[in-house]
Amino acid sequence: MTSLGESRKSGAAELGVGRVVAWLKAHSHQILVFVILIAGWQALTLWRGVYWFSSPWGVLTRFINGILGGELLSHASYTASEAVIGFVIGAIPATILPFLLRRWPMATAILDPVMVGGYGAPKLALAPLFILWFGIGIESKVALVAITVFFIVYFSALSGVRALEPKLVQMAQVAGANERDVARYIVFPGAVPYIFTGFRIAMPYSIGGAVIAELLSANRGLGYLIQFSATNFDTTGIFTALFMTTLIVALGNWSVNIVERRLLRWRPPPDVRMQTGT
Amino acid sequence: MSGQPLLEVRGLDKRFAGRSGRDTALWVIKDLSFSVPDGEFLTIIGPSGSGKTTLLNMIAQIDVANGGEVRFQSKSAPINDPKSLNPGLNCQIGYVTQEDNLLPWRTTLQNVLFPLEVQGRLDAEGRARADMLMRTVGLAGFEGHYPHELSGGMRKRASLIRTLVYDPPVILMDEPFGALDAQTRAQLQEDLLRLWNLGRKTIVFVTHDITEAIALGDRTLVLSRAPAKIVGDHPITIPRPRDIRGIMTHPDFAALYQRIREQVQ
Repeated sequence: MTSLGESRKSGAAELGVGRVVAWLKAHSHQILVFVILIAGWQALTLWRGVYWFSSPWGVLTRFINGILGGELLSHASYTASEAVIGFVIGAIPATILPFLLRRWPMATAILDPVMVGGYGAPKLALAPLFILWFGIGIESKVALVAITVFFIVYFSALSGVRALEPKLVQMAQVAGANERDVARYIVFPGAVPYIFTGFRIAMPYSIGGAVIAELLSANRGLGYLIQFSATNFDTTGIFTALFMTTLIVALGNWSVNIVERRLLRWRPPPDVRMQTGT
Repeated sequence: MSGQPLLEVRGLDKRFAGRSGRDTALWVIKDLSFSVPDGEFLTIIGPSGSGKTTLLNMIAQIDVANGGEVRFQSKSAPINDPKSLNPGLNCQIGYVTQEDNLLPWRTTLQNVLFPLEVQGRLDAEGRARADMLMRTVGLAGFEGHYPHELSGGMRKRASLIRTLVYDPPVILMDEPFGALDAQTRAQLQEDLLRLWNLGRKTIVFVTHDITEAIALGDRTLVLSRAPAKIVGDHPITIPRPRDIRGIMTHPDFAALYQRIREQVQ
């Protein structure tokens, strides 16, 4: 706590320069990896030509122009909204269902083969079907994202409900808790870390699902942009769209981390999973 | 300490099914009877594996019995059918378990207030009582800490006052200080006696430590190895208030200790 306060104070005093230098120092290894990747890319460009591999500089220029011109942003926000809407539609029932089924182990067991099948099935192969059913608009993409997210989050929430500590439930019951109190104060908070693990895993899949559905048929979005660039032999366009997709995934990951850290303050802090998640 | 017993255990049986159903069932408790008058601090001592925890679980109604009954205030509590179990008997039987069982997602104060919250009794009076208990056991200043931020002794204290906060007429304690170092243990025993002196609740305290059983109890029961039976019943004549750390130097201590030790196999 004190070190945070100090760094804030000194950062303000030195107009942020000290903080930037500190950040660069702290992340020097990550920056090095990034530089090596870019250099490797540039080497490929020089070896095989801009036609096949575009170039880091070309992509950056296209990216900035796309952002400033608004075109790239509008494709990105279209894809992002498909992902977010699909995520919400898939994640909410997937989170609630295990709690409803908790009282009926029979129902959970009956549903299990369906769920396992749904989890294992390659959802991306459903994209053509959804396009047939829901058209080439946003609905088919949302449906694909929702079904992908649903199965991932369902199994995470289910394992959270199953990880329930019976001794905590007994303690609560002896103290006077009824069935609803147990669900609210014991089962749910205990499952939250598992649910968030599901969210974290499902998040990139939601973006990926949206992009792939767009690849097949769409007239907007990053997947469309990739497809459109490819048909025009525009590798710079493809890389720019890919870069944007990656940025959205990073942003989504960051948001999940923020929410998770707020909700899970009660966990011991040196959590390896959280550190790698940042 | 006279009159009708507050809590009675009559002819209690408990067996665990043998492994894979082929071995003969193992009787943990067979025909166990004793009674506890109102306001008594009863300590029960027995070797490990003598079914002490199982006994408390049955009295607290979180485990079924295979025979016999538990009577509270002269009324029989149904403990032979898992469906009719009533854990805690409508908050009249508190239970401090071996593990602290604090909810990791609640702060210390929220954990202590938990019973009042689920019982719908979270009012100013309850909060004041929780506050008083926190201060009495030295947890003041740790209200906002999560359990993982507390020491083992502090977690124990929190779990102890979580039961005391709603003031159940009977409190069961299952080796609550078992896993602590000697110093913390003595400190907590003193805390417990001080708290008990405030209200003189009926306490059934299970332990495998003879010194602890003598230091805390009004009376000590000795359980045999499984199937558990009562093999000794010793009134503890050492007057209160007691000096926990110096209990061994009391003239009555050595003889009591010797008698109990001979019965604990």
